[in-house]
Amino acid sequence: MSSVLTKFVDWLDDRAGVRTILREMFYERVPGGARWRYVWGSTLVVVFLTQMITGAFLWMFYSPSAQTAWESVFYIQYEVSGGWLLRGIHHYMAHAMVMLMGLHFAQVVWDGAYRAPRELNFVIGLILMHIVFALALTGYLLPWDQKGYWATNVSTNIASLAPVVGPEMRKLAVGGADYGHHTLTRFFALHAGILPWTLVLFLVAHVALFRRHGLHAKQPSRAADAMFWPDQLLKDSVAALGVLGAVLMYAIYGGGPELTAPADPSNPYNAARPEWYFLFLFQFLKWFPGELEVWGAFVIPGLIVTLLFLMPWIGRSRAGHLFNVGLLTVILGGIAVLTAQAVWADHYAAWFPRSDANAARFDASQAFLAAEEQAQREAQRVIALARAQKIPPTGALTLARTDPYLQGPKLFSQHCASCHSHTDDGESADPDQQIVPPEPRAPNLFGVGTRTWVSNILDPKQVNDSDHFGYKGSPFADGTMVDWVQSNVGDIAPDQLEKVIAALAAESDHPGQMALRKSDTEKIAAGVQLIKEEIGCTDCHKFHEVDYEGGAPDLTGYMSRRWLLSFIRNPAQERFYGENNDRMPAFGPHDNPSLNQLDDQSLELIVDWLLTRWYKPERGAAAAPSK
Amino acid sequence: MSNKNNQPSDRQESPDNRRNFVAAAATVLAGALALLTPFCAGFIAFLSPLFRKNSSSKVRVALLRQVPADGQPRSFPVTTKRIDAWTKYAQQRIGSVYLIRQSSEEKPTAFTAKCPHAGCFIGYTPGDALFRCPCHTSAFKLDGTRSRGDDEVAPRDMDQLPVELRRVATAAGNDDVVEVWVEFIEFQTGREEAIPTA
Repeated sequence: MSSVLTKFVDWLDDRAGVRTILREMFYERVPGGARWRYVWGSTLVVVFLTQMITGAFLWMFYSPSAQTAWESVFYIQYEVSGGWLLRGIHHYMAHAMVMLMGLHFAQVVWDGAYRAPRELNFVIGLILMHIVFALALTGYLLPWDQKGYWATNVSTNIASLAPVVGPEMRKLAVGGADYGHHTLTRFFALHAGILPWTLVLFLVAHVALFRRHGLHAKQPSRAADAMFWPDQLLKDSVAALGVLGAVLMYAIYGGGPELTAPADPSNPYNAARPEWYFLFLFQFLKWFPGELEVWGAFVIPGLIVTLLFLMPWIGRSRAGHLFNVGLLTVILGGIAVLTAQAVWADHYAAWFPRSDANAARFDASQAFLAAEEQAQREAQRVIALARAQKIPPTGALTLARTDPYLQGPKLFSQHCASCHSHTDDGESADPDQQIVPPEPRAPNLFGVGTRTWVSNILDPKQVNDSDHFGYKGSPFADGTMVDWVQSNVGDIAPDQLEKVIAALAAESDHPGQMALRKSDTEKIAAGVQLIKEEIGCTDCHKFHEVDYEGGAPDLTGYMSRRWLLSFIRNPAQERFYGENNDRMPAFGPHDNPSLNQLDDQSLELIVDWLLTRWYKPERGAAAAPSK
Repeated sequence: MSNKNNQPSDRQESPDNRRNFVAAAATVLAGALALLTPFCAGFIAFLSPLFRKNSSSKVRVALLRQVPADGQPRSFPVTTKRIDAWTKYAQQRIGSVYLIRQSSEEKPTAFTAKCPHAGCFIGYTPGDALFRCPCHTSAFKLDGTRSRGDDEVAPRDMDQLPVELRRVATAAGNDDVVEVWVEFIEFQTGREEAIPTA
């Protein structure tokens, strides 16, 4: 067998000279023997290869367009078998690459390994470092989620400040004036094509020059010279495995790389921050007011980078080398301090109580934390929807925008909450759904259409409280309804009252009531009869065919979708409050939708939200990746 | 591999030298043409965003009755048709404006919510005396001027947008509806003057 192998290798060697190539690859002399401190260069190569491998597989799933980028990343993360691990490795390996590069660079400067004849290779190394930064920046946008979208928006806006060609550069990077399909196609072409291949080109040159000059041995030598194969390569491989181990730990136990909600140009992400390794630049910019920004964004970083490129020449003398080491320390220290400052400013409210002295700082941090938390909840919700309902061709943003659970609170806050509150006093209250106006001037609309809601209104103690007819300035506080409830309900037998409540609630399209309409038919039918004929509701209210034109709102289909839609469109209709409507605006009285305050979709979202007609995931099924 | 023997060794053989120069020049030219042509074709396509003009449109953002004359900012989404390369969105929210109406005025003032610093969305909490940008801590007074003047990170005050009121007769013919229209202009960020992005 071995003779066959030998013959084959001989054959290959004759034609391709493989033995020489292998010998040159592996039999590099390592002066002073193999050492752990020499592993970082090789480790970086392995890390880069990992990115090429995982990147190529991710490429098989990823689709760059405004309707498919988030969707395909979602699919990788939650539906593809092992997709979460693949993306996790790619994501955290990128972090490892930035850290290892910092380490490699610091070591080269510290050891003065940039001195002649290695100047050119040092320069190539710095170019490689910038390519890696560019890869990190372009990769951050590709999931097209809120975080990447808004953070990259800020960085490209800052790039547009570059002297002379800034705005044009931005346009070319973004692929137009606004973010869209072409931002993704361009960033993806850079991230998966141009940048990695440029990196390969420079990496080949970097390694070739490294081989040509030999390893920059750390003096004094501690052992006899050794060969790269197998001594140093073993250490390199162990180090590479160590890095992979750390990355796997993060990918498996770190909760996986985040995927925030799909990018929405109209829904600002107020916690937009760059990835942690660019946080120092973000913080640095806060120091430069107004047009001085150019100094923070270009001039000073540009000067520092120029100094870095000049290091080999500055470092020719001993004093120069000391200067370089000093500069390195200042840069790394500065980065550490700025990063800590940024984290400190954002998380301040989580660590310290509010006082008058720190109010501004506390509030800004509080706003950041709240925005981050809300963004997380939104992301979880959209992911749960995408998993349960799949994604329509218009993209996952449609899921978010047509979801009453997500849009209801926003629309209610904007259009209804200057008067109405929506608060649940129960123990399991959902914090996202609590809306309290500074000064409620209309009923609390939480739970409309439920039996609880109806029974509260028919409760002599509650009918006149601030959640119902007793709100501030209410003309109904001592009106006919309150008077009727307080004088008559006590006389109705409890079991009869229960039937009335069941019947009136059953008119609504609340999902719970829709189920009860099928299961509790007898009680409801009895209640309907009581309302129509016995207890006196129909003296004032219309109820189905019984209509004495008493002037109070029609109870037919009370709190059904149609009833609510019609009511909100125009509460001053004869069917509802007529002339008694003293404060509620008509949100959609016109047939021409452009004349209305609220469009049909918003109206429906508000109504469906009030009736809790939204997708409810089973407990725990929300957003766990399919591990 | 060496072909030293074939090479002309001195200057006396000038016709050959000349011939070699022409050959070298032709090689470079042919190679360059072969590679540059596809590159140029791609590069021209790459530059295409620079040739497209960006125009701002007038958008109806609210009804006047939604903007009480109390000097308080109210946020309204800006929704209009938008074309992104091959996709046409019939109605898409492209931004947000704050409308503020003083008691003495009929016409509200409109500020775009886009921060003049780096384009983040400026936030406003009802009751607050300032607009606040969540990104780099810029703050603006309710008249849009920078809270700390030139010490603010933002290089200029909030961008004001032209407002137009349009009266529309309703089908019923009783009350006219007054609409607030805003010309939604995108401005370049980070500059002292407000320059529209062209």
